Amino acid sequence: MAINRRDFIQRGLGGVSLALAFDIGGGVFLLTPGEARAQAVALRNLGAAEAAGLERLADALLPGAAAAGVTHFIDHQLGVDPDACLLIAKYFQVPPPYADFYRTGLAECERLARQESPQGLAGLGEEALQSLIMAIGKPGTKTAEGFDLSLFYLCLRSDAVDVVYGTPAGFEKLNVPYMAHIVPPEGWNG
Amino acid sequence: MAKTMDKVDVVVVGAGAAGSVYAAVLAEAGRSVLVLERGVERRLQDLYSSQIWARRLKWGSPHVVEDGPDSIWYNFNAGHGFGGAAIHHYAVWPRYHPEDFELASRYGKGLDWPLDYGALRPWYDLVQSDVGMAGDAQQEVWRPQGEPYPLPPVLVSNHGRVLARGFERLGMRTAPIPMAVLTQPYKGRPACIWDGWCDAGCPTGALANPLVVYLPRAQQAGARLQGKAHVTRVLLDDAGKRVAGVEYFTTDGERVVQPADAVVLCAFTVENSRVLLNSATAAHPQGLANRSGTVGRYLMSHPALSVFGSFEEDMQNYLGATGGQLLCQEAFAKTGDPQGAFGSRQWEIGLALKPNDLLGIAMSRPDIWGQALHQFMREGARGLGSMVGVCEDQPLAENRIALADRKDRFGMPLARVTYRTSDEGRKLWQTATREGVALFKAAGAKEAWHGPQAGQHIMGGTIMGADPARSVLNGNAQSHDIPNLFVGGPSVFPTSSSVNSTFTAHAVAMKSAHYMVKHWGEVRA
Repeated sequence: MAINRRDFIQRGLGGVSLALAFDIGGGVFLLTPGEARAQAVALRNLGAAEAAGLERLADALLPGAAAAGVTHFIDHQLGVDPDACLLIAKYFQVPPPYADFYRTGLAECERLARQESPQGLAGLGEEALQSLIMAIGKPGTKTAEGFDLSLFYLCLRSDAVDVVYGTPAGFEKLNVPYMAHIVPPEGWNG
Repeated sequence: MAKTMDKVDVVVVGAGAAGSVYAAVLAEAGRSVLVLERGVERRLQDLYSSQIWARRLKWGSPHVVEDGPDSIWYNFNAGHGFGGAAIHHYAVWPRYHPEDFELASRYGKGLDWPLDYGALRPWYDLVQSDVGMAGDAQQEVWRPQGEPYPLPPVLVSNHGRVLARGFERLGMRTAPIPMAVLTQPYKGRPACIWDGWCDAGCPTGALANPLVVYLPRAQQAGARLQGKAHVTRVLLDDAGKRVAGVEYFTTDGERVVQPADAVVLCAFTVENSRVLLNSATAAHPQGLANRSGTVGRYLMSHPALSVFGSFEEDMQNYLGATGGQLLCQEAFAKTGDPQGAFGSRQWEIGLALKPNDLLGIAMSRPDIWGQALHQFMREGARGLGSMVGVCEDQPLAENRIALADRKDRFGMPLARVTYRTSDEGRKLWQTATREGVALFKAAGAKEAWHGPQAGQHIMGGTIMGADPARSVLNGNAQSHDIPNLFVGGPSVFPTSSSVNSTFTAHAVAMKSAHYMVKHWGEVRA
């Protein structure tokens, strides 16, 4: 469904799900991150291999995050101005552009994974994946170049929590009343 | 070639807590006031109830380079847009105590303010009446003298009641937390419904943010607010002795000169120093208002910790305000720490919790992941309790804001922050970790733990002081060097206390703004 800006705002203010505004074929489409993933909407910032690795990691950190569209959420927000960005990475003084942080983190995880499997994250068995997560999740874990892998773990875990539990639907899963004053609009890019 | 605007009486840089107070008071006194804010023109209807959307309210750029051993958590603490950091603050408003103003003379520690509690008390009282504060002055036995709160205390849910049990069992008193949140309708604003969305910005007007108290007053009195105005320098007159206005850039990159008879910098702690340092001239090679060399120095941040516990009871932890329900200042005595650390502490008890975000349920145990995280979320949504401990930091000259080599898109150097928590503050934090866990266990927690050290509130950098050789501002927050330059916000604090800074930032700004009104002839002369 292609919509104009007016429709976008009206639908957004009345909606309770979270959707991204995607430019597809010249039209603006409102889709939840999960819908965007299911429809294989093209990513704008991450490469295919990066996206696959991110999804593997995030879904291990919180099962259901992949289906909830964590990759499309992150990819979308990597293209947003830092002031308006909705990624928690900015709370941790990660220098913008945040795409550098995610790309470096994913590349490091791939490098670690390739020590166990030639296919990297994609070929890693469950046990090896768990070991990798435990390694990067240990507070203070850094690469030889000083990249903070434990911070990458923390941010990616939080991104997964955002898409699974940070929405009205997520609150409902926990039987927590949402009690919105103003229901968040559907489009994350405002 | 810069575009030059018509002269105004006063330019206020920053539309946050302090800037909004200055703008209201000066405009109501008949001054022509222009407020320049680097962020967007935010409205109440922009404040969506979502911890994800709340991140738009926090600082993003220009990046603040933090290269010290500890972080001041600048992006999380700061804000941008109309309302500044106060748009997402939690409205916990205890007063500084009398001893907080006299650390050096009373204890030989830290610094003295150039004013005492008595000088600030009437301004606390005035602000409290303006915004409509809730609390119980009698039960808050540690509270300095002042007018009673105009409104009854905030909600105490099962969360607060259960945790208070632990304090009682360890012989510590609690009181309703003093909060700038309405518990009854007040001056046309509605009462809070205790939904815990304070961090996302309160669109109802129950929480006293600048959009509902002082900015409307300023605008009604004729003050103009302009967003997306990136102030880079304070400009001097030809003699180099008085402020002549400011330079700013529009988002489109246009350079603009705004002449003014006086300038009030209220751009929050790091930006205030950054702008002054970037305003260096041949006559002021170290930056403006910096004859003492102290601009940027004495940066402080409260060492803070979150304490969590899992309880059998349904804690109703989704109810209330983000800042908590109860307060405990039993450890406020400066010399009462069992390890001998100097300084005060306080507890903010029973914070309303959301599932996600920095202070949410999931982040309380960052080591849990996988299916176990789902289980933890389900249990935490019902039985997790939380409180926050705030510890005093000491003013150290080596903790500072300087200019970095890298520049922003307007050619202005980024701010570089070098910060290390004071040894006293770190010891207080360690004491708090032990006490916090013990309190939760005494309250009946099945399990209790604490989070890592975090930085809460950011103070210093343009401190007030009696000695022009060792401070930036006098007791009216007026530059020692340049009489028509004033500064607002927690950057003017010479000491940190262990209380939240926003109420005191309001009170100091209120005092200073009234000084400007009363002495306008001298200020503009």
